[in-house]
Amino acid sequence: MNYRTHLLCGAAVLALTGPAFAADTDVTIALNEELEVVEPCMASQSNIGRVLLQNISETMTELNTENGNLMPRLAESWEDMGDGTWRFNLREGVTFSDGTTLDAADIKHSMERTVSPDLTCEIGAKFFGGMTITPTIVDDLTIDLTSDPAQPILPLLMSTLTIVPSETPMEFTREPVGTGPYVLSEWNIGQSIVLDRRDDYWGEQPVVTKATYVFRSDDAVRAAMVATGEADISPLISQNDATNPATDFSYPNSETTYLRIDSSLPPLNDERVRRALNMAVDREAFLGTLIPADAKIATHMTVPTTLGAGVELDVPAYDPEGAKALLEEARADGVPVDTEILLLGRLGNFPNVTEVMEALQQMLGDAGFTTTLEMVEVAQWVEHYSKPFAAGDKPALVMAMHDNNRGDPVFSMYFKYACDGLQSGICDEQLETDIAEATATAGEGRGPAWEEVFARAHEISSDVFLFHMVGYSRVSERLDFTPTIATNSELQLSQIKFK
Amino acid sequence: MRKFLAKRAVSSVISLFLLVIAVFFLSRLTGDPTNLYLPVDASQEARDNFRQIHGLNDPLLMQFGNYMLDLVQLDFGDSIRRARPALDVVLEAFVWTLQLAGITMLGVTFFAILLGSLAAFNVGGPFDRIATFFSLIGASAPDFWIAIVGIVIFSVGFGWLPTSGTGTVWHWVLPVAVLFIRPFGLILQVVRGSMITALSSAYVKTARAKGVAPRATIFVHGLRNAMLPVITVIGDQAAGMLNGAVVVESIFGFPGVGKLMIDSILQRDFAVILAAIMVTAFAIFLMNILIDLAYAALDPRIRY
Repeated sequence: MNYRTHLLCGAAVLALTGPAFAADTDVTIALNEELEVVEPCMASQSNIGRVLLQNISETMTELNTENGNLMPRLAESWEDMGDGTWRFNLREGVTFSDGTTLDAADIKHSMERTVSPDLTCEIGAKFFGGMTITPTIVDDLTIDLTSDPAQPILPLLMSTLTIVPSETPMEFTREPVGTGPYVLSEWNIGQSIVLDRRDDYWGEQPVVTKATYVFRSDDAVRAAMVATGEADISPLISQNDATNPATDFSYPNSETTYLRIDSSLPPLNDERVRRALNMAVDREAFLGTLIPADAKIATHMTVPTTLGAGVELDVPAYDPEGAKALLEEARADGVPVDTEILLLGRLGNFPNVTEVMEALQQMLGDAGFTTTLEMVEVAQWVEHYSKPFAAGDKPALVMAMHDNNRGDPVFSMYFKYACDGLQSGICDEQLETDIAEATATAGEGRGPAWEEVFARAHEISSDVFLFHMVGYSRVSERLDFTPTIATNSELQLSQIKFK
Repeated sequence: MRKFLAKRAVSSVISLFLLVIAVFFLSRLTGDPTNLYLPVDASQEARDNFRQIHGLNDPLLMQFGNYMLDLVQLDFGDSIRRARPALDVVLEAFVWTLQLAGITMLGVTFFAILLGSLAAFNVGGPFDRIATFFSLIGASAPDFWIAIVGIVIFSVGFGWLPTSGTGTVWHWVLPVAVLFIRPFGLILQVVRGSMITALSSAYVKTARAKGVAPRATIFVHGLRNAMLPVITVIGDQAAGMLNGAVVVESIFGFPGVGKLMIDSILQRDFAVILAAIMVTAFAIFLMNILIDLAYAALDPRIRY
């Protein structure tokens, strides 16, 4: 062979090793984090939820995160039977990807499996802790779920429970079977996951025929992949990479940032000091600088679309002189306002978090507070965030970011504000009563009940609320898809269309 | 030779055992993984149950004893994060790292020896200038910067190469190129220096005086005698790569052992940390044996 033959052979080999052409209706999605497990009962983790939730594994009900309404999914209807029991009527003719038909026994098994102590499922720990749910099969397509204590929002909780066939073992599965429109067809560990559309899906056939998920931890690489056409969607890119208005979207990501005040210790147990903290922070100065301009200043623990969180509460005015005056007033009453306060942040919590913490320290210092700033990684941070607080007898302000896109404040308020709440820095009798009442209230009165809780937390300056945050996505111009608040936790392929 | 290998094996096992003890206890000092794996609002009951399942409620010494008992049966434990045997997780990742390191080091070794020898033969000449340039780049440019610039130019700009991932030979070009630069610059300089010494020695001058061709003078007479320090540096660089090329693996989406180790440390996935350390330590032990054998092959005066 001469050199030309060598060159031609080489070119042919390289051409053959190039990527196969994909169908026009296939999509590639670049995720920032690899999936270590593909277990449906772990789908509340955003990296797992974006692949599994409503694509492979469906739920009985589904929350419309845009308007807060609860929609039927595998359950066609539900009714309150009283005494903590809700009856769910299942959709007929639904099959799992293994060919079996959905019935009430599958719901019972899914419920028991999710809360089983043998699995430590995140959905069980996150949404069904502190309650006992007893499933009772009425007939093949009807099931009663009885909760103790009674849960007025049990149908909403069912929007978190992923349904698996009753044959699924009591261990993490590596071959998830669900009723969703897609089936897991390939899992190349560490590299990619492929979902193929099912032909026998009970609902409307989605347009996307195949979805390939790839994992790239670097923001710039994910953005570049969509720019070059290697990927169609990157649900999460950095603000710095979101430079193309045609492909880059900001969306409320349901996260709220705040400084959690440990009110059990002086000087933070004094309400004037907590008000002074709120007055010391110039929130407007952060927007468009260290925090994305699209973020909203927060006065609540949850995003405004959550039940009861639409109530208008005043943003504390930036007034360092007023804060100093309040501190002097407290000092005159013997409050040790000069005590050093620990200001604790979590590395990588959100973009620019270190700079935000440094700016906050400066602002607090300008208002007369003495703080020490510590930036720690997540494991250490959790020890400060959850009780017993690691700071011990040192007063602390912990920067936190809370996510609640489930439509109801019950997933947040007990943990954050009840005296026994795991992350609660406050113990206020009225707040405690208000939370208990709102939690137990059903129907029309539930929204106003939560409004009272938010108002009370605001009144006693329970925390220093900062921002309802936004995320950035890059979406290929060939797709008709706009990220929403739900994109933070799920990515329904059936919502993706082509232009 | 057998005695030598046995001696090396025993000393490596002792080192490995001490390493396991250190890593086992130090990693557990970094905190309880329960807080990382369960939601922040998980109940105390769920937390206790998690600790029970993963044996974290036992006293530390008992945990260590149980781990060592399992280890002698080659059971490295299960990954908490992945709910799979830790050894499987590590070996899957190690295969990627081995390929990446193998391809890169083969290329680095070949081109560094070629260019370094030519540079030494004509100090100040064009090859010498090229060698100096690459050494400077390798020593001064950080990997992540070269990687991102490479993607911006060759993937986004020209569209010649994929940004990242695996699947075709094209996917390997950028990661290997980025990994190539630093060891190439270093080994090139060692080859050049060692070859300058070798080429100025009496036996090379004799060869030249006898009319041996320049190619044979460089690559037969000079190179073989200059290779001992070069092999040491090659081994050192290869060991670094076997521990994982964290930056390159992260940016280009290569599921290698370096990224796995970093993730496991951050996630307090103790079984994976220990398994990864043992697998890479074993690989480095094997590589050191190969280097020792190479010494003996190149220098007849070395006998084991």
